[in-house]
Amino acid sequence: MLEASDAHLAVRIADGDTEAEAEVCRRIAPRIRLYGLRHLRSSFAADDLVQQVLLKMLEALRAGRLRDPEKLAHFALGTCRMTVVELRRTTRRQTRLLAEFGPELIPDPPPLPRLDGAQLARCVQTLKERERSVVVLTFYDEQTAAEVAGFLGLSEPNVRVIRHRAVRQLRACMESKA
Amino acid sequence: MTPLDRVPAECRQPIDAAVLMDYWLGALPFEAEDPVEEHLMNCDRCGDRLREVIALADGLRTLAQSGSLCVVVSDQFVKHAGDAGQRVRQYAPPQGGSVQCTVSSDDDLLIARLTVDLSTAARVDLTWCDPGGTEVLRMTDIPVRGDAGAVICQQSITFAKASPSNTLIARLVSVDRQGAERLLGEYAFHHTRTIPGPGGWESY
Repeated sequence: MLEASDAHLAVRIADGDTEAEAEVCRRIAPRIRLYGLRHLRSSFAADDLVQQVLLKMLEALRAGRLRDPEKLAHFALGTCRMTVVELRRTTRRQTRLLAEFGPELIPDPPPLPRLDGAQLARCVQTLKERERSVVVLTFYDEQTAAEVAGFLGLSEPNVRVIRHRAVRQLRACMESKA
Repeated sequence: MTPLDRVPAECRQPIDAAVLMDYWLGALPFEAEDPVEEHLMNCDRCGDRLREVIALADGLRTLAQSGSLCVVVSDQFVKHAGDAGQRVRQYAPPQGGSVQCTVSSDDDLLIARLTVDLSTAARVDLTWCDPGGTEVLRMTDIPVRGDAGAVICQQSITFAKASPSNTLIARLVSVDRQGAERLLGEYAFHHTRTIPGPGGWESY
């Protein structure tokens, strides 16, 4: 499958090509959203991040400020990092940028895969007691391995091993029943 | 630079699923997180796989918060549940004693707190028996600390809400290498149904 490279798109955007802008948004937005989900823990905040990062990127690309067009993804990641820090400080810049560009370039995010909750419950019940406790304590409110280890009287690495094993078993169980 | 480059259809070095889960949980060391994020910002294949990890993590969180699992938990878990606004119904029968218990429709979690001396126990099993002594569930090798002084077990609130009035006996036993059992504690739960429903399992 042939697609325009990131570098080629960056050059076209600097030349005023709006189709290239749309293609960059389509390509990069889902990746930014994943970064936002990971660091902001909210789909709404992740959507905000997608908007802000794309707006900043387009602003920079239009002005030809991306020094190395080959590093568009790296530029996106750096912008994500800066924006997450900014998001925690102020929303004023977002308001100004949104007023300037509008949100219409932002594509719908890809949906998360659907999961059979009842099947997952059956799979969790097949885990060993220790694994089930680690899974519940870890995912209930994202306790760290250190917190779980404190309760179980285990080492942190041991908790990680138990968690990895349990998650691997759950994935296999879910896939086998799919 | 050519105007069109071939975009790789397959990821040559996919990120291990365990690493993706650790990344999602924020459990990766800082220096390991950076290359993962660089890769994800370039690779939609691994992005799709991260979405699968997120879906699994979301499913497990929903399941853990549903109160429907029978599982040994921690004091901190029970405290967090209460702080998060979940209605926690908790019973702590004395060792060798019993407690009258029930659940209401708006309860979220059902917790049994079993006080016990675990200092001399090796492997610990928690069994649930009917009044006649027949074992209906065995939780083998439950996670406990020798100095904990109690076992905190979440019972399925889904099951309890549907359950008719009945009695369950919880037995904590220490199991040695040869499989011999030693009773550590026994606790009776006399459940009275307060939610409208069928009278009893025996009527079926």
